[in-house]
Amino acid sequence: MSLTAEPMVIEDSVKLAAEHEAAGRLGEAEAVLDRILEKNPKDAEAVHLKGVLAVRGGRTAEGAELMERSIVIGPARPYYRRNLCEVYRTLGRYDDALRAGKKAAADDPADPICHANLSVLYYERGEPLEAIASGERALALNPNLPGAHFGLAEALLLRGDFERGWEEYEWRFRMPGVPTLMPIEGVPQWDGKPLESGRLMLIADQGFGDGIQFSRYIPWAAERCAEVVLACSRELQPLLGQLPGVSQMFDRWEIAPASAAYLPLSGLPRLHGTRASNVPTSLIPYLKPDAERTIKWKARLDELAAPHHRRIGLVWAGRPTHKNDRNRSVALNRLSALTDLDGVTYVSLQKGPAESQVGGYFGNAPLINLGPEIDDFVDSMAVIENLDLVVTVDTAIGHLAGAMGKKAFIMLPYAPDWRWLENRSDTPWYPSVRLFRPPTPRDWDTVSAEVAAAIKAG
Amino acid sequence: MAARHVAPLADQAVMALNEGRIEEAVALCLDVLELAPGHAQALKVLYQIRRGHAPAAAEALIRRVVALYPNDFWATNELTLLLLGKGALAEAEVHARNAVRIAPQNAQAHHLMGMIMTEINRPQIGEYHYRRALELADQRGAVLLANLAWNLKNQGKMAEARAFYEEALTADPSILQTVLGWARLEEADRNFDRAAELLDKADALAPGNQSVMLSRAVLHGRRRAYESALGVLDEIAAQRQDGGLGPNELLEKGRLLDQSGRYEDAFKAFIEGKRLVREVSGTRYMADHAAGLTARLKGFFTANRMKITPRATVRTDTPQPLFIVGFPRSGTTLTEQTLSAHKSIAAGDELPFIADITGLMQRMLGSPLTYPDAMSELWMGDQREGLDNLRDYYLQRARQIGIMEPGKRWFTDKMPLNETHLGLMALLFPASPIIHVVRHPLDVVLSVFSNQLTHGFYCAYELESAARHYALIADLIAHYRSEMALRYLPVRYEDMVANQEFHIRRMLDFIGEDFDENCLKFHENKRYARTASYAQVTEKLYDRSRFRYRHYLKELAPIVPILQPAMDRLGYTFEGLEAAA
Repeated sequence: MSLTAEPMVIEDSVKLAAEHEAAGRLGEAEAVLDRILEKNPKDAEAVHLKGVLAVRGGRTAEGAELMERSIVIGPARPYYRRNLCEVYRTLGRYDDALRAGKKAAADDPADPICHANLSVLYYERGEPLEAIASGERALALNPNLPGAHFGLAEALLLRGDFERGWEEYEWRFRMPGVPTLMPIEGVPQWDGKPLESGRLMLIADQGFGDGIQFSRYIPWAAERCAEVVLACSRELQPLLGQLPGVSQMFDRWEIAPASAAYLPLSGLPRLHGTRASNVPTSLIPYLKPDAERTIKWKARLDELAAPHHRRIGLVWAGRPTHKNDRNRSVALNRLSALTDLDGVTYVSLQKGPAESQVGGYFGNAPLINLGPEIDDFVDSMAVIENLDLVVTVDTAIGHLAGAMGKKAFIMLPYAPDWRWLENRSDTPWYPSVRLFRPPTPRDWDTVSAEVAAAIKAG
Repeated sequence: MAARHVAPLADQAVMALNEGRIEEAVALCLDVLELAPGHAQALKVLYQIRRGHAPAAAEALIRRVVALYPNDFWATNELTLLLLGKGALAEAEVHARNAVRIAPQNAQAHHLMGMIMTEINRPQIGEYHYRRALELADQRGAVLLANLAWNLKNQGKMAEARAFYEEALTADPSILQTVLGWARLEEADRNFDRAAELLDKADALAPGNQSVMLSRAVLHGRRRAYESALGVLDEIAAQRQDGGLGPNELLEKGRLLDQSGRYEDAFKAFIEGKRLVREVSGTRYMADHAAGLTARLKGFFTANRMKITPRATVRTDTPQPLFIVGFPRSGTTLTEQTLSAHKSIAAGDELPFIADITGLMQRMLGSPLTYPDAMSELWMGDQREGLDNLRDYYLQRARQIGIMEPGKRWFTDKMPLNETHLGLMALLFPASPIIHVVRHPLDVVLSVFSNQLTHGFYCAYELESAARHYALIADLIAHYRSEMALRYLPVRYEDMVANQEFHIRRMLDFIGEDFDENCLKFHENKRYARTASYAQVTEKLYDRSRFRYRHYLKELAPIVPILQPAMDRLGYTFEGLEAAA
């Protein structure tokens, strides 16, 4: 019944339900709990577990209510509030979450999970110093808590403390539920020392944006190894294949060549010794558009766009399964300050379910829904090449424009991904990119107005 | 063999008819037909006798003649007129075309084609045939002249139309339709005093004629003398045995009551008017057909299919269409009047060619399937350029009706509900701007309900079906926009009214044309719009049409749930415009 990594103590009376829940048999668990609650509606443990089930079933608000009720019924166990803290956080009720989390920590100061949860919460509240302190408290109680290490890593990196941050970041693959990065046994992780006669297998881990961002290190790795091969999804191959130094790319483990060592792309900055002050940018533009497709898309845009307008690419939503999608994506119609502008035509580079929002777009500026015609990143790059500017939330398109050296405005969530650092409108990763930050969580009106003003200013 | 025996009898029947011995003529005809059931002369005499008092029998007779003798011009002419009279325009067109095939040098054949083409909203083609009829006729007959004048009035060629009315009236001052048509021209052209004079003249020709009275009521309405107008309608009703008004009169009455602020009574008149429209025409909204078509369109126009479907290339040697789409009564006429005042934009009006292409596509692409599935031929190697042919059909038709004026880069096509075919339009003319005029859905549906319109599979015949069709099309548009890249700009009617210059500039900017001051003075645009909106677009932009639904909250409440998704999508609330609130 845990919402976090650690198992919880539960009463014998609901033990069976908890076993069902832990095994993923949510229906059976619910049935057992209903029987218990029919006899004793004030069984706090059963009510709380019902709340857990509701959250797991996607009924988060209902889960919060049940958990609140379990606390009212009492006696409240500390993990009631610890769980509730997490649920409030996912609902964006940060003040409630903080109250619950602090009380849970006060009730059971020896519970490292409470502090790890608080660390994540503080990060999302935009309070990285507190996130670091909570993470450190959690690790003092349990030095092997991967979630606490990872939370700490993100807060340290966000603060620009890359030296400590990269080390803590290594715990990301030990997080519960994270699949093994390297399924081939017996291949060690590369330590950055020259592999003069061996082959290094780089693995494009994480999302497309990460792959684009960290691919800049491929030439650096290639200089230190006899050969570099790249495990990489098909979508990224035409992009990452542009970096010098890769001898082979593959997207299935069955055809992976034998290698002396491996490393995720996201592990390269640590080995490179990257700090906020020495991010390698000299290769930019390290991604270049295909010439033929660039001509094709120019012709298409000339057909579709108002002839005298500035052409601005627009992306308002990321992959819905991203853990922070609720905070990083925005509804198209929330960007009214942007879409009210004169003299611009927006070119939607949006892919995925959010494409359908174009059907309900009635802003002043024309919006060309190019998404349905864009097949892959090669198309996206060729389109971007024909644009005056790209405006995007934190998605791979921002990385793509940055890696191409094209002007881009990235609209960040209030608590952004660590890579965008704190309180700055530029980024050491991409000189052509400008960052826009909301003053409070999900204040897209302010962001949209600031971006609109920047577009107007040219 | 029988013909030899019956010929004298048939001649006698003709003679009896001419001499007014009707019963004898009937008996003789029946004798003839017993001997020779397909005898043309007997059938024709019988038809002439029956057409006055037994129209169904007469129709059956003349149909038989045409079926038996397809090259008989007289019978074809009669059948065409009969079909025209009952509003069966599609079938009438078939026979009118046949009349021209039979007798290409016959003035009456061209006169018929002129009438049909004018009635089916193809006035330019109609004008051609009327003028051919004038060339071929021995004399310039009053009816032909008046019909040509009506046609020209429908095209907004007011001065020319006026001259033909004058000539028609000189040729024969006793024809009521000439005077009445002329009066309507003057009313449409805002010469209200002259219109009143002509109506006086019409009244003298046919005292108490109800068509004249209805025109008088319309004229009073345009002069904002609503009580007088309503008084005339009451007089019409009093003349009738049943004491009631006809469908068009009731709708006019409803609009007058609305203008007078008597909203409850107005709505009752609309309801009754539409009830009569349904009763008289026997027509209902073709809901299944509409749903089936939109489902097929959604099934065909998907992102995956569009990726493999070739688009037509863009012709640079000819003006291009500028599409103005929107549900009827959304403000498309206003938008067209505004834009066509621009020096580079010609007014094309409601062009039927996109709908024509949906009908022709199967044949032109050689497909076993109908539209839209016929477009799957475009995936075959020998039809990759199939859309170029369809594009050229459209452009050739547009050129033929004379709307491609020299010096213009664009011509408008504001056929209402063309947005049903947004996907096809974007494939045929990928670089043509599509301006979508949107207005509060409740205002649109209310206005559609208060006017006599056949667009949208007769959805306007009932309040609920108008709302249903609106919702269906709104959903279809959202589908197209989600699945395809379109050169599309939505424009709110309410915004046009509130901030005219800004939105004219915005539209021209989108089209790629410089601002033209003339667009601000669109009400001085001498072109007459022949849609139901004409009385409004000849006035300066005004505010009365915004949120009129607020007077009918109770009456419209049942359709709010149907329109709510569209209102949400467009940003309208039940009280008004969100953005304006």
